Amino acid sequence: MTTLTTSPATASGTPKPDHNKTRPRTPSEWILMILAVLGALLVVFPMLLLLLNAFKSPADYANSSPLDFPEALDFTGIQTFWETQNFPRALWNSIFISGMVAILAVILSVLNSFAIGIGRVKGRTWIVLVFLMANLIPQEMLFDPLFRLYDDLGLLSNPWSVIITFTVIQSAFGTYLLASLLGTFPKEILEAAAVDGASRWRILRSVIVPIVRPTLSVLMVFFFIWTWNEFLLPLAFLNSSDSLTVPLLLEQLNGERQTDTTTLIAGTLISIIPTIIFFLIFQRTLTRGITAGAVK
Amino acid sequence: MKHRTGYAAAALAVGALTLTACSSGGDDTPAPTGADGSTDWSGQTLTVMHYEGDDSAMGIAWNRAIDIFEEETGATVDLQTTAFEDLNASAEQLFDSSDAPDVSEYNKGNGTAGQLAAIGVIQNLDDAYAEYGWADKLGAGVDTIAKYNEDGVMGSGSFYGVPNYGEFVFLYYNEDLLAEYGLDVPTSMDDLESAFATFADAGITPLTTSAQEYPMGQLWYQLALSQADRSFVDSYQLYTDVVDWSGPEISYATETLADWVDAGYISTSVTGMTAEDAGLQFINGEVPFFYSGSWWYGRMLSDITSFDFGITNWPDTTLTPGSGGNIWVIPVESKQPELAQIFIDITMRPEVQALLGESGGLPVAADTSDIENPDAQALIEIFNEVNDRDGLSFYPDWPTPDFYGDLNSVMQGLVNGDFDPAGAQAQLEEYYESYVSTVR
Repeated sequence: MTTLTTSPATASGTPKPDHNKTRPRTPSEWILMILAVLGALLVVFPMLLLLLNAFKSPADYANSSPLDFPEALDFTGIQTFWETQNFPRALWNSIFISGMVAILAVILSVLNSFAIGIGRVKGRTWIVLVFLMANLIPQEMLFDPLFRLYDDLGLLSNPWSVIITFTVIQSAFGTYLLASLLGTFPKEILEAAAVDGASRWRILRSVIVPIVRPTLSVLMVFFFIWTWNEFLLPLAFLNSSDSLTVPLLLEQLNGERQTDTTTLIAGTLISIIPTIIFFLIFQRTLTRGITAGAVK
Repeated sequence: MKHRTGYAAAALAVGALTLTACSSGGDDTPAPTGADGSTDWSGQTLTVMHYEGDDSAMGIAWNRAIDIFEEETGATVDLQTTAFEDLNASAEQLFDSSDAPDVSEYNKGNGTAGQLAAIGVIQNLDDAYAEYGWADKLGAGVDTIAKYNEDGVMGSGSFYGVPNYGEFVFLYYNEDLLAEYGLDVPTSMDDLESAFATFADAGITPLTTSAQEYPMGQLWYQLALSQADRSFVDSYQLYTDVVDWSGPEISYATETLADWVDAGYISTSVTGMTAEDAGLQFINGEVPFFYSGSWWYGRMLSDITSFDFGITNWPDTTLTPGSGGNIWVIPVESKQPELAQIFIDITMRPEVQALLGESGGLPVAADTSDIENPDAQALIEIFNEVNDRDGLSFYPDWPTPDFYGDLNSVMQGLVNGDFDPAGAQAQLEEYYESYVSTVR
């Protein structure tokens, strides 16, 4: 919250950087800066805890506070995690599932919203509402019927069960967002394209998609992250050890009454590395914000 | 960790020795192996699912059982490990689907295995029990959790599962702290309370527990059990009769706990502590006593380095919280029910059971003389003491699906003063009766 309140102030300060250098900071600026630093610390704190504790031996962990430095660097947690769990396999499953969902859901959203937003079909508000139901229904309700469906189709423990489910769920949100965006799409551009003899397919591919591409790439990143973090439905559909995703793999480390905490911490540390790499690659897309395309 | 690996390796080595000894003896009785050997299972696959860690006692013993199974039947085992919470969430669907394992570990109790038995998702094992004679191997109190009636209530009806290990709750104590204050291991309630008083006077909180999770509820139950006989347990757990929530058993438990909190024997901070926090307090040597279960034992052995600890049964009681452990069940969609039964039978063999005991678990069908590790012996010794007095009385939260949370919230209220003992009892009765009155 603190970072949110500070951003307008710093934004208004940035156009005159030369002034900032010469004049001393006002007390309110100092306060805002301290708040921003505190906010950043809050965000970094869990990571710090992970780093501190992932390299402790179980005895060291038991005998010290979570904030203490490890007595000696101990890699047994990381080693146990790596040896007992097939992390590369889970990582591949997660990337494959999230990647496919991101791509397929964006394609589906574009096609749906083209019909609803540009095509202006009758009763589009209701159609969008029906689409949104996929997001509004609690996943617990989908658990049993979808499980039986995939059981009959022979898709249990198959990544496609999760990919199909989440392509539908994510594209429901995508359709909602893109349909309202395309509803305000300038008619002049579409008419100009039609005058030039472009077919509908051509208009979609060569006119609309390039213009809303920033929004699409942001959507794709969000779909990827949302699907990556999904837990309940993958838990239901993916039952064999080979089909687990990263969050499910981490859950495996929780015991009935006890948890091997250092292994869990080490596993968590390892499993956020791909997420951090992903963030670094797509950082620019993420910060562009979901409404980026709406301004154009 | 190094210590634990060494311990496990030693256990394996000893287990292997007992195993060779047993298998050479096993040649004298070829009848069961001959019967199995008449069918050729090679090329078949048995999917086994469980949620025990690879280096836990059960994990070690069951890996050994898998080796024996593959060797004797020629079939291969596809081992799927899962997590307790995962299976808890998905078993009802999973066991009735094409993805169902052929044999699986599952959580015992009315709300879990009982429910699956009632809706027919796990197989009735009466015939298998008759064929393999498992009932003779399981002691009374242990087999209660293997039987469920048509409503899914344990204790009577048909067999639906096979417990492979036991668990129970007892007192962990810090030998060094006791010696420092010139105290002996308490053998009576008076001893225990005077030890508590000694530590409290010296500014040390004597007993750690957790009101946020199971430990304090189990302590409360133990106190009630110390005043009770078997008919109380039957009423409380098996709904045979109405429980008197202001009777002598429960009044003693709530009042004693309230007194202990007032006297400073139990810190008021337990309301915010998890079982892990309480265990860590004991492991760090901050408190002399911790009342909790056998599932902590391996952890204590490996993590306590700065002092010696001991274990003893709760004094002055014939009944003790505890039960058979989780059970093997055969899902209704199992593709290999016969192989599954053979596998379960192998896990019940003396050599596998002995290995389970050597590795720090509580075997249900082991010959104690096979077990040589002194730490394992110490545990099995006090477990046998409980079984000799037919003392296993299950856990306080079993009667209703929500009682775990209910009990914890009342325990928290009792500690922070929201409830006086009478109020706590009335509240517990309300929670308990709201469910039990519908099934009694």
